Amino acid sequence: MVVSLLLLVPAVVGLWLVTGGRALDVARARFVAAAAAGVTMALAVIVTVARPDVDVAWLPELSVRWSFGVDGIAVPLVLLTALIGVLVAAHAWVDVPEGGTPATFLGCLLIVEAGALATFTARDAVLFFIAFELVLVPMWVLISRFGDRHDERARTDAGHRFILYTAVGSTLMLVGILALVTSAGTSDLGELAAGAGAALPADRQLLVAVLLVLGLSVKVPVFPLHTWLPPAHTTAPTAGSVLLAAVLLKMGTYGLVRLPVATVPDGFGRLSPVLAVAGVIGIVWGALVCLVERDLKRLIAYSSVAHMGFVALALAAGSETGLQAALFANIAHGVISALLFFLVGGLKQRWGSVDLTVARPALRETSPRLGFLLILGLAASLGLPGLAGFWGEFFSVYAAWLPAADRPRALFVGCAVVAAVGAALATGYALRVARTVWVGDRPDPEAAAATPDTHGVELVVLAVLGTLVVVLGVLPGPLLAVTADAAAFITGGGR
Amino acid sequence: MIAADLVTVDPVILAPALMPALGAVLVLVGDAVLPGRRSWQPLLGVVVLAIAAGAALATGLRPTDDPARTLCLPAPDGACLWTAGPTTGTLQAGILLATAAALALLHDGARGPRDTTVTTALLLAAATGGAGVAASRDLGTWLVTLELATVPVVALVALRGTRTASHGALTLLVTSVTSFALLALGAALWLTATGDASFAADTVAAAWADPERRTVLVLAVTVLLSGLGFKLSLVPFHAWTPQAYSTADLGTAAALAGASKISALAALLVIGQALAGAAVDTGSVGVVLGTLAAASMLLGNVMALRQTESTRLLAWSTVSQAGWVVLPVAALSAQGLRASAAYVLVYTVATLVAFAAVAVVGAGALERTRGLLRRDRLAGGALAFALLVLAGLPPGVIGLVAKVVALTPAVDAGLWLLALVAVVAVVLGIAVYLRWFAMLLGAPRPVDAALADPQGAAGAARPHRGATAVLVLGTGILVLFSVFPGLLLGLLS
Repeated sequence: MVVSLLLLVPAVVGLWLVTGGRALDVARARFVAAAAAGVTMALAVIVTVARPDVDVAWLPELSVRWSFGVDGIAVPLVLLTALIGVLVAAHAWVDVPEGGTPATFLGCLLIVEAGALATFTARDAVLFFIAFELVLVPMWVLISRFGDRHDERARTDAGHRFILYTAVGSTLMLVGILALVTSAGTSDLGELAAGAGAALPADRQLLVAVLLVLGLSVKVPVFPLHTWLPPAHTTAPTAGSVLLAAVLLKMGTYGLVRLPVATVPDGFGRLSPVLAVAGVIGIVWGALVCLVERDLKRLIAYSSVAHMGFVALALAAGSETGLQAALFANIAHGVISALLFFLVGGLKQRWGSVDLTVARPALRETSPRLGFLLILGLAASLGLPGLAGFWGEFFSVYAAWLPAADRPRALFVGCAVVAAVGAALATGYALRVARTVWVGDRPDPEAAAATPDTHGVELVVLAVLGTLVVVLGVLPGPLLAVTADAAAFITGGGR
Repeated sequence: MIAADLVTVDPVILAPALMPALGAVLVLVGDAVLPGRRSWQPLLGVVVLAIAAGAALATGLRPTDDPARTLCLPAPDGACLWTAGPTTGTLQAGILLATAAALALLHDGARGPRDTTVTTALLLAAATGGAGVAASRDLGTWLVTLELATVPVVALVALRGTRTASHGALTLLVTSVTSFALLALGAALWLTATGDASFAADTVAAAWADPERRTVLVLAVTVLLSGLGFKLSLVPFHAWTPQAYSTADLGTAAALAGASKISALAALLVIGQALAGAAVDTGSVGVVLGTLAAASMLLGNVMALRQTESTRLLAWSTVSQAGWVVLPVAALSAQGLRASAAYVLVYTVATLVAFAAVAVVGAGALERTRGLLRRDRLAGGALAFALLVLAGLPPGVIGLVAKVVALTPAVDAGLWLLALVAVVAVVLGIAVYLRWFAMLLGAPRPVDAALADPQGAAGAARPHRGATAVLVLGTGILVLFSVFPGLLLGLLS
């Protein structure tokens, strides 16, 4: 009941905002959206504590049940999604992009949130797929209608690229899910993970794993399937970018954990060297692009590709540490990228563009609070110890160094070394950004007026994320403890 | 039961076909008695069709292993010429209601056809044929009712009277004659191969066991499929579709796109049941079906991407969706046949809603619908939802579920190549429908407003009661099925 409410509140309010309440003025619309996001957050906390579930017959023909619930893997993601939902709704007091009515914009944000929550709580493979698809249309509207006003063509292009690429991925995933479900005879994710999937013959497992990994890799995104992400991020409005990085990409990694890793472990094992290599190439490629990229928003997007490379590598390693590392890096990236995209979005709003080649006054002088948070985000992003980004990267490299027994050790050790080099490259681009934006180039006595410092709602939003970055970095224990049991079940108990 | 000389006849079971036939007779007699007063005719047609649909749904609620049977031959074999299980009953209801929707669209507003007697009677006749072919289980009834379901629509296209329309009707007529010739040939070959004038699983299995008769049977099925391919607008038999849709008036095009497609699919399912029931490895037939499905999905979507007129886009969309309808049949399993029936029903409702919205806006350039969501909430919202259903994107959940249901038998049967083509088709389809969806969402341009204004003024003066009813009911059905997709699938089994 509570789980259904958790999904229905944002979905129904969001749908109402895009249909019946479309004409609502901005003041009322953002109040409604914020209230819905707040209620959802409260429900998410209740769901986390009480762990209720719902299980009703829904589609008997395919024996699909309306089955939602949370476990250790889903809980952090549900909380992250609900928190990001509140933050993006609050951000409407800072900035509501043009391109349609404010209610449509906020409604789309809420529907994306509902789709993500449904994805993270679905306990049925087919239901998971349907929830996965729910975010496509609202996100497409956010990118192609509310995106960057400068270039209509680029906006349409980015929107189409987003929806078509991810639709290819999700439909391939659907074929994989159906292959899995029809051979195993059940679509219940719990039963599939408990051995129904692992009982399949080896070549069928490999086929399912190939389809699932290929499909989900588009969403994650894993190199070389990442090309939709940079234009989508560059174009999307701030709130859309935040949702995209912090929530939507997590649906891909969560899907990898839930489907191929948990249900067809042997098939995934045979595929894992390819995934590991693709992940490592993504780490290095993303970092190299970041060293030369001119647009700051696009740069952060490429750094996302690099971070997701660490997650892919950790998952491929197949050990319990690897899975834990992937889950932690997932959450850490969600918080850090949300912080960075809010920051960069704020800068873009102030400056009109975030081209790094344009000489600008030093951020540390004009707006010290923004400057500090930017440095914090960049430091976390490069994996500085003591901040959230460190543990995920550290454990990923460690897991690749000591992969599961059935993985080719030499290859994974090589991957670990290259990944470590990639992490070092990240320092390079983080310092490059700090150098151009934080230290600045152009002394300007009137600069402070051009870049007003952050305050009010924006400061609160940024401060919440900044605090989380520090807390996760200093105290990784509680989060690791939450995911530990489920991770142990998937890597050990499932076989 | 009324005991006839040789066969048993149960009029209650036959109601789905008898009611529209009776309606057609009433319309014709009424026109003779009350010449000149014709406004009651379409209304009578809709009422008759609704009653017949209710009767069809009632047979649809019977259990699968106890279908409603009548027109049974005496013992020893006791074969029944009319057998209606749940799938058949629901398909019949679909045909009848889709005809009612076409009837409403055809006679909507002041610009409806002058000769409502003929148009109403023709549509009712087509509905009779459709309801008949769905329940037929023997070659003779099947062939005659299938033609009855499709030929009246050709006459409707011709009735438009303009030069382009008669050209379209000529194309359609030639197509339809070719199709009939193929079907007749296929039926003859089927009879040769199985030695049985009915679509029975046991004789198919016997024929399949004999290599020489198997060759003839495969040929028979291929020829029958070619004949049905014309009616279903499958590539490469699709060429008439865009022309007929764009030259006929919207009501007729809606009949072609809706009821006519369900009837043709129901006919295909009759063959499919015999093949699936034979429980033999009918892989070669599956390959033929799979090829048709793949070609239709790909070509239909690619061509639809380039269309600038709403009816032409809907025509190419029909071609691609016909591929989706046939996709699960290629698996030749009972589950596949049900999936196909579910898909065709979802497609029809969504397409009819789209036609109704186009009827409100006025056919022609796609640009005319730009910003429709802001100008006309009902038509715009219904069209937007229907497009999402056709694309298979939530919140049009039923469209997505239909695609999942359609893909399942293909994956189950290991048709990987077909599944991969379907993946490409999904993406192309999204591109097609989102292009239109984006147009609805966009801001109306001043130029367009000027362009649409004379039409708009005329539209405001002309009430669209029929189109509005189709919009409201159709969208209601789609929303209901999107929330409870199990409902639709439950009706079919």
